[in-house]
Amino acid sequence: MINQILYLIVSLLFFSTSYSDSYVKASDTLIWDSENKQYTANGDVEFKNEKFIAYSDKMIANYIEENNEEIFTTVELFENVVIEFKDEIFKGNHAIYTKDDNIIILTGDVSIESPTRLLTGYELIADIDNNKRILNSADKDSLVEVLLENDSKN
Amino acid sequence: MIRNINKKIINFLIIFFLAIQFFIYFYNQRPLSENFSQKDITVENFSSIVLSKSGITKIGSKKLNKIDEDNIYLEGNSYLENDEYKIYGENIYIKLKEEISNSNKPVRVVNSMGVLKSKGFKNLDNEGIIIFKGEVEFLID
Repeated sequence: MINQILYLIVSLLFFSTSYSDSYVKASDTLIWDSENKQYTANGDVEFKNEKFIAYSDKMIANYIEENNEEIFTTVELFENVVIEFKDEIFKGNHAIYTKDDNIIILTGDVSIESPTRLLTGYELIADIDNNKRILNSADKDSLVEVLLENDSKN
Repeated sequence: MIRNINKKIINFLIIFFLAIQFFIYFYNQRPLSENFSQKDITVENFSSIVLSKSGITKIGSKKLNKIDEDNIYLEGNSYLENDEYKIYGENIYIKLKEEISNSNKPVRVVNSMGVLKSKGFKNLDNEGIIIFKGEVEFLID
């Protein structure tokens, strides 16, 4: 019985220290510029927030200070960008996410991959809150809008 | 006769004590005319505060080694703490004049966004920039 209680306490402690909703990981450097309120991560960057997980070669995140807390406002990703959002995977050369409107804009060899389809284009605007995707083609003449099913709504 | 002797003794004592007071006053007020500079000082269980661009930074270590006038080396478990961050690491070099500190040992940093772990750091305090080296993990609250 005592062993079980101890195991439970240790498990809870481990869970509380290992789990985090949001994180940034990088293999080379992370630069914190407090004057410009910016974090720059380099090398195999992994960024996770409550909405998605993103991978890229480089990341620049701007933040503001509110009530003695720092909050990311924009996250910019460079080179080999992969963003996993629920069952979709967005890919591109560059991406910028703005927290205010929860919109991700990807550019350069963009693709959206879902269990049922793969779409490619030049620019993707993913409106997370409104569950809308706008994919512009490379020649910018045609527009493809993909509405996802309601059961994947946030 | 006895009264005269007592008066003389009292006068003597007054003059004597005034002289001592004057002596003490003079040597207490006298400015130090020599500069003492000692290199290679080592202090154990050291803590102090440093005024830099990011405000007052409290520094401490298991062992402080003063390399020269502008360079100190915090040996063993060490920390730098101010209003913006708390850096816990070991073997930290500090260039006081340039306001630069760095370490190639694992470091843990706490700031208002979360907790960061890296393999080392370089803190350019006068520019407000901290570079975390190697594999970095930043857990955001």
